[in-house]
Amino acid sequence: MYSDLLHALPDVFAWTNFAAVVIGVIAGIVVGAMPGLSATMAISVLVPFTFGLEPLVALGLMAGIYNGAMYGGAIPAVLLRIPGTPAAVATTFDGYPMAQKGEGGFALQVAVVSSSIGGIASAFALMLLAPPLSKVTLLFGPSEVFWVAVFGLASIIFLLGGNPIKGLISACFGVFVSVIGSDPIYGNDRFTFGQLEMLDGINIVILLVGLYALPPVIDLLETPLKTDGVNSSKLGTEPIWKALPRMNYWKTWLRGSFLGIWIGILPGAGGSMAAFMSYNEARRTSKHPETWGEGEPEGVAAAEVANNADTASALIPALTLGIPGTAVAAVMLGGLLVHGLQPGPMLFRDNPDIVFGFMWQFLFGAILLVLLGGSLATNSFARLLNLPRPLLGSVIIVLMLIGVYSIHGRMFDVYLMLGFGAIGWVMDRLKFPLPPVVLGLILGGFAEENLRLALRIGRGDPLVLFQNTTSLILVALTVAVVVGPTLKKRFIDSRKKA
Amino acid sequence: MLNIFKKSAIAGAMILSAGAALAEYPEKPIEVIVGYSAGGGTDVMARTAAPFIEKYLGDGASLVVKNMPGASGQIGVTEAANADPDGYTLGTFNLPGMMARTIDREAGYDRDSFTYLANVVNDPNVIVTSKESGLDTLDKLLEEAKANPLAVTVGMSSLGGDDHFALIKLQQATDTEYTIVPFKGSAPARTALLGGHVAMGILNISEVAEFQDQLNVLGVATNERSQFAPDLPTFKEQGLDLVNGSMRGFIAPAGLPEDVQAKLIDAFSQLSDDQEFLDAMAATANPIEVVTGEEFKQLTSDLYDLANSVWQTTPWN
Repeated sequence: MYSDLLHALPDVFAWTNFAAVVIGVIAGIVVGAMPGLSATMAISVLVPFTFGLEPLVALGLMAGIYNGAMYGGAIPAVLLRIPGTPAAVATTFDGYPMAQKGEGGFALQVAVVSSSIGGIASAFALMLLAPPLSKVTLLFGPSEVFWVAVFGLASIIFLLGGNPIKGLISACFGVFVSVIGSDPIYGNDRFTFGQLEMLDGINIVILLVGLYALPPVIDLLETPLKTDGVNSSKLGTEPIWKALPRMNYWKTWLRGSFLGIWIGILPGAGGSMAAFMSYNEARRTSKHPETWGEGEPEGVAAAEVANNADTASALIPALTLGIPGTAVAAVMLGGLLVHGLQPGPMLFRDNPDIVFGFMWQFLFGAILLVLLGGSLATNSFARLLNLPRPLLGSVIIVLMLIGVYSIHGRMFDVYLMLGFGAIGWVMDRLKFPLPPVVLGLILGGFAEENLRLALRIGRGDPLVLFQNTTSLILVALTVAVVVGPTLKKRFIDSRKKA
Repeated sequence: MLNIFKKSAIAGAMILSAGAALAEYPEKPIEVIVGYSAGGGTDVMARTAAPFIEKYLGDGASLVVKNMPGASGQIGVTEAANADPDGYTLGTFNLPGMMARTIDREAGYDRDSFTYLANVVNDPNVIVTSKESGLDTLDKLLEEAKANPLAVTVGMSSLGGDDHFALIKLQQATDTEYTIVPFKGSAPARTALLGGHVAMGILNISEVAEFQDQLNVLGVATNERSQFAPDLPTFKEQGLDLVNGSMRGFIAPAGLPEDVQAKLIDAFSQLSDDQEFLDAMAATANPIEVVTGEEFKQLTSDLYDLANSVWQTTPWN
């Protein structure tokens, strides 16, 4: 196998194949940075064109776009508090406060270096450990996947932000949105009001753009004449090699990579859950957790390393079992099928040069990110912030409308997005946290579908949910997340009294 | 005078253009509506077939694939059914799904909405069991299912699809009962089988070809051994009359001009003898069975009747 890996290397450096990765990374950063455009969308637009391309050119473009977009999402998250992709939500927590303090440039550099490290770790996991890690995926049947989703939801509700009740309400709203569309088992319509457009449920990008992009834009437009706040002259940019020594986040990078790879190989959860988990863990173990949420660079590092660490690893179940770990991996699977690459155990044997070449392209895509991403972000995107605020706000609104319209090419989605925007604005004002809504939509559907499948397997007996070690470990973790903070507080209080 | 001249000129132009349309179809690009996103099985079939259809239509014909995903292909096929029947809009068609949808929900089309051109792919069902189940022959499986009704869990893709109809045929033919576990798609069902979370699965031959070492493949639901995997025995060989599969083909709106229909069907019918096409389809795991025109229409009608009779006795939602 390792000789196959080396054998595939020369093809990767054929200039067309290499250029494809470079173009992909740049395109991915741009797409990721635009609110409303996502890697999933960019790659689905690309797939029909790849019929006429050489496999490694097509796959190189995809690998580049995927890597680029996962970092690109951080750019507006840091500069405007608008996550460019669902996975960049956690990046806003500390990235935006940093930008307000005039450290936006450093935040972007931390983001690009962390993204790159996560991507490299993930690519190595894909290259070296794909077969053994795919066995891990097999351990996760419906009941285990159900508990993963519950654990993810519990973490976001109870660990993030100060008010679990508000978090729970937000999460319930997200889970409700996940219920809209066809019933996953019987196919009955639920809350679709007879609209064919709603049969497939609510696309996550529509919700994300509405909730997250509209409120900050309204803020921008409310204070058109103020000149303070972020602008690129205050970005505090210094060359990246000078900034590097300030980044001493090895533990966070290591843990974030591990979490990202791990969550990537589980079906469904994907980058946003990885980023939240990594952020939570890094904050929990930090020596000064009180600075988190107020511009702690390590928070940006934690989120960005994890949301890139699931990129290549999400392809492990996709390539070996045909089940994609993320929406992007699902679209990429289509791109592979187009070239006659059937997922399965034979794939690595039948087409080693292409499959391993693709993995190398992932690795080089992640490395190129530092070289291309750093300067692109600080030299071009950050300059957008010099625009007068009414203009900047209008530009973002136009991008949002175009992005959402282009998902399926219909106005219905645009109206839906504006509706979510209104809800998001109200929630923002009432200090309801928005991340649980996003995760509620992503994980709610998984929880429901897998709960129902598990109960069918158990023929209605709920004990089926507790029948093996993996499930029980996940149950224990969930319980710890729910009651842990309260117990810890009591413990500290009683020590104080004593 | 001028008026008469004008009128005759217009009439002349109309006759000319009508004549041109008859003689020269296709004179502009033909759109093929695929009800699924790019890169899916139906999309790959359409895009693989397109250049060959162009070749057989001749005269610089050009097919443009347009993806209209959503609602399990409903949005796309409804669009194709309602298009102008001029031969410039075709659509892909999946069986038994497209017919089952007219039964289990309100659909914007029925079996008379189409001109049936050709079915191209027939991916037969297979029954597989997980290695952990120990049910490594058809006899052992049936014995277990008879001894413990509903104890055998069956992973498959959604209800009302070809997998489901295959299971119903199996239940009726062998007088057994199973617990259905309908996953969202075949790949998750196959993964649950590999992990031993369900005991048995109903999938399609293209979906298990790469996994023959990891699963027990008990039989193929065809009349004769599939060219696609000739080592696998049919159920008929084992004394069980079970034939079922997932089919994909091409339709046009009802009311296509006869000469256009004839030209299209002629082009499609040449596919089955084109080795280059057969190779391209084999590479993308698409077992071929070309059935054209009236025969295709009859096939659709039969499947509708089957789905309808199943729905009457055991509705699936």
